[in-house]
Amino acid sequence: MDRNQLAKWFKEPVKMGHKYSLYAVYFCTGCGIIEIPPSITSRWDAERFGVIPVATPRQANLFLITGYVSVKTLKAIIRTYEQMPEPKYTVGFGSCPINGGMYWDSYNTIKHLDKYIPIDGWIAGCMPRPEAIFVAVTHLWTLIDKEMANGYKRYREKYTYYRANQEQLFGKLEWPPLFPIGDTHEQLAKKKS
Amino acid sequence: MVVKIIEIIASPIIAFVIGIFFLGLSRKIMARIHWRYGPPLTQPLIDVIKLFTQRSVSHGGIFNLGIILSLGGSIVVVLFLPVGQLAPLSGSGGMLVILYLMLLGPLGIALSGGEAANPNTSIGISRKLILALGYEVPLLFILLSVMTHYETISIVKIVEEQRSAAWSLFSLPLLLPGIAYLLILPAILGIRPFEVVQAPQEISSGPMVEYGGVFLALAQIQHAFSLFIGIALFVNLFLGGASNPAIFFLKMLVVFIVELFINAAFPRLRVEQAVKYLWRWPTLVAFIGLIAILIIR
Repeated sequence: MDRNQLAKWFKEPVKMGHKYSLYAVYFCTGCGIIEIPPSITSRWDAERFGVIPVATPRQANLFLITGYVSVKTLKAIIRTYEQMPEPKYTVGFGSCPINGGMYWDSYNTIKHLDKYIPIDGWIAGCMPRPEAIFVAVTHLWTLIDKEMANGYKRYREKYTYYRANQEQLFGKLEWPPLFPIGDTHEQLAKKKS
Repeated sequence: MVVKIIEIIASPIIAFVIGIFFLGLSRKIMARIHWRYGPPLTQPLIDVIKLFTQRSVSHGGIFNLGIILSLGGSIVVVLFLPVGQLAPLSGSGGMLVILYLMLLGPLGIALSGGEAANPNTSIGISRKLILALGYEVPLLFILLSVMTHYETISIVKIVEEQRSAAWSLFSLPLLLPGIAYLLILPAILGIRPFEVVQAPQEISSGPMVEYGGVFLALAQIQHAFSLFIGIALFVNLFLGGASNPAIFFLKMLVVFIVELFINAAFPRLRVEQAVKYLWRWPTLVAFIGLIAILIIR
């Protein structure tokens, strides 16, 4: 942890600020949320890492997706994610958002979350312990340091891909696109041929 | 002239530093009361640096201007408050100006949040204005009794009079108004048990619900200034001010830590309970104090 190194603060204040002040939006999906109250309160104390929960997506820059994501919840997740100010970081929590986990054959949960919104890192396990959240936070610091936590840039660049996946799942979406939509891969292939 | 300009620049900077320090200290002390390790003291500064470098969403002209009005109003109030010998504008207007300008803080946030048209914001704004109505009544009685007792509206003169005699809090006629000010101080600072405005668990942090990035940073700085104003006014009126900023800071620190313990010990009141309390006990105590001062004279 280089939070107390003053030289780094003068060299790159923006990056250091984004590293050590993570406001996590208090959004609960599935059973993983049961690990969040002990990790933000007295027992594990996330605040010493600069992570605090906030009540609204406008103030947040860290999105923990805790547990399985049903199709209905995904809609709320996308809207919450799009309301967060950039730069924003997403962490999938537990095995269900990674590949479906124990809901691998469910008709009503999505299997791969990173098809719908970009994910910067995963915490594997069912359930991960609260310590795993802090390991993930320190990994996220490393990623931000190396400028590899660029999920929000991917969302901007490949918005066509993500929006197409979302529309494939939901049919027509109720909200307008966040970024201008280019041609999809199939349309590009058609144009070439 | 040059000295005056330097004072006008220096006093908001001092207020900002003290306010941000208090925000960090409050998080650290609250953590220790919860038996946690807590964030570093500089955490609010880190937050502000981060928030200033985020992309933020605006909801229109008033949304931008209201938050600036709120912050500007708070900075102007700081200029009228003497900090030790540092008193740039306190020669003109005195307490009456402070009484008027103190409303600009809540009003600016209300204007700005209203533009966002979020239901949580509307609830938060109405709570903020109701709470302001709740504590303005006893505050008016308290300031009236202080002004009547010292026969002046200038805070500098009040501080000087206290230097020759005892602190007002421990002098008999002003004891009751002093106690009343201590009772309403949590409401002025917006901490528990009067944390009805922000209330993240109930109304998603109230007027701040649509603030992100730069707007949230400005709102946090305004909060730091309002912490400074509420405590500095108490120190000046009832704890005898100070001859230099260091002693002034120490007195503020003592008052703030007492308020933090109150913040840690009490749960949040509902808004109507808060107003009922504010209009009953502090108002009664302040009113009796005012009558007593009028009879003694």
